[in-house]
Amino acid sequence: MKALTAFGSRFGGKIALNPEFVLDRAQRYYLLNPALQKVTRGDFYYAGLYLGKVKNGIFFPSFNFLNILAPIAVNKVILDRKAAWLFICGRDIFRKGIVRLMGSQQRGDYTLVMNEFGECLGFGVVTGNLEEDGKVAIRNVLDVGDFLRREF
Amino acid sequence: MYGLMSGKEFFVSRYRKLGWQFREVEPRQAIRINQNNAKGKNLPERLRSLGVELEKVPFLDSGYWVGKTRVSVGATAEYLLGLYSIQETAAQIPATLFAPLKGKTVLDACAAPGGKTNQLADLMNNSGAIVALDVNKDRLAALANHVERCHVRCCIVYGLDARRASGLNLKFDRILLDVPCSGNYAADPQWLSRRTLDDIERNAKVQREILAEAVKCLSPNGEIVYSTCSLEPEEDELNIEWAVKNLGLQIQPADCYGEDGLTEVFGRKLDASIARCKRIWPDETQGFFACKLKKKAEPK
Repeated sequence: MKALTAFGSRFGGKIALNPEFVLDRAQRYYLLNPALQKVTRGDFYYAGLYLGKVKNGIFFPSFNFLNILAPIAVNKVILDRKAAWLFICGRDIFRKGIVRLMGSQQRGDYTLVMNEFGECLGFGVVTGNLEEDGKVAIRNVLDVGDFLRREF
Repeated sequence: MYGLMSGKEFFVSRYRKLGWQFREVEPRQAIRINQNNAKGKNLPERLRSLGVELEKVPFLDSGYWVGKTRVSVGATAEYLLGLYSIQETAAQIPATLFAPLKGKTVLDACAAPGGKTNQLADLMNNSGAIVALDVNKDRLAALANHVERCHVRCCIVYGLDARRASGLNLKFDRILLDVPCSGNYAADPQWLSRRTLDDIERNAKVQREILAEAVKCLSPNGEIVYSTCSLEPEEDELNIEWAVKNLGLQIQPADCYGEDGLTEVFGRKLDASIARCKRIWPDETQGFFACKLKKKAEPK
């Protein structure tokens, strides 16, 4: 649980998950509704809403977890359509593709990356080049294109 | 050995005997909107703005046929965000045959790669619980990815053979048996040259075993939906007739697209209730078979 709340705080948000519904199985975290808890047996492959995993001490969030964070996170950027497409293709973000910046944008901060419809596409790390054209402003850490890439 | 029990002529002749004239077909690509995720987003318009031509499937609430498109519908942001799934038209039918699903405990016994699992979750409004099984460990990753992409919250996935489902010690209100089957030529260009009657009979036996196991896990007023994408009566009407005679099941009317189930197969008359099943010969969709079953009422 600590890993989840600590990760959430890096976006300037305070996440509150009821620990009764969070299942930690070998440092993989799942959010289970009461109906699912009744049908949960030991050796499942996947359950409820997968929140992420801790590996080598680092928390790797799921997209579901980023979606839970989205309404409460302070640090966000909204991209134009072209930059949003490039982002989900795994590319970094340049200043000119950013329509709006919200929250703290200091070098090293985490920020959620949203499209023009307010949908969360992933997250990145601010590089500190937010005022300079032609330089990477936000480095891509995780984007929804991962769903395609992990199939191969 | 199977020279007379396989090949295009063999199957074309079988279909003729079943009353259908074989023809080459090209089923249309289809998508299904995940209504819970796409609520208020005007998804068809968004896709059209990307250059995707869509046509509403007249017999499905959430299905659209994909026409000409400038982009791959499997690689748009909207797809990756779980607003829709790519799901063959006829394959969208079985989950819609159940009575209301919200809050129910549902077994999806042969779930991978998860198209129907996601559809069930959508119809359940992400309430209740879906227990999704698949025996093929390699396909569980695809199932989990699909469920995660569509933000499904009410599903648990086990690597388990549907023929061992009673080992979970659970009773289910609804059971979807989209059983492993021989497939059909519309979905696989090599089908007619590869398949033999032996394959079909082997699959039919496994399907009967799955049906028998499902009955053990069914709540007293529960429903089973059985479906295949096979055109072969051994896997369809004949298996359902067997289930009616041997498992204490009765067939419920299925209000959906498709022709009535066959009540005469290769000269043998079947129970008249088999007509309540639905058979779809390939055309704009692939071939398909579906039916809804309930336990017979206990005598008072």
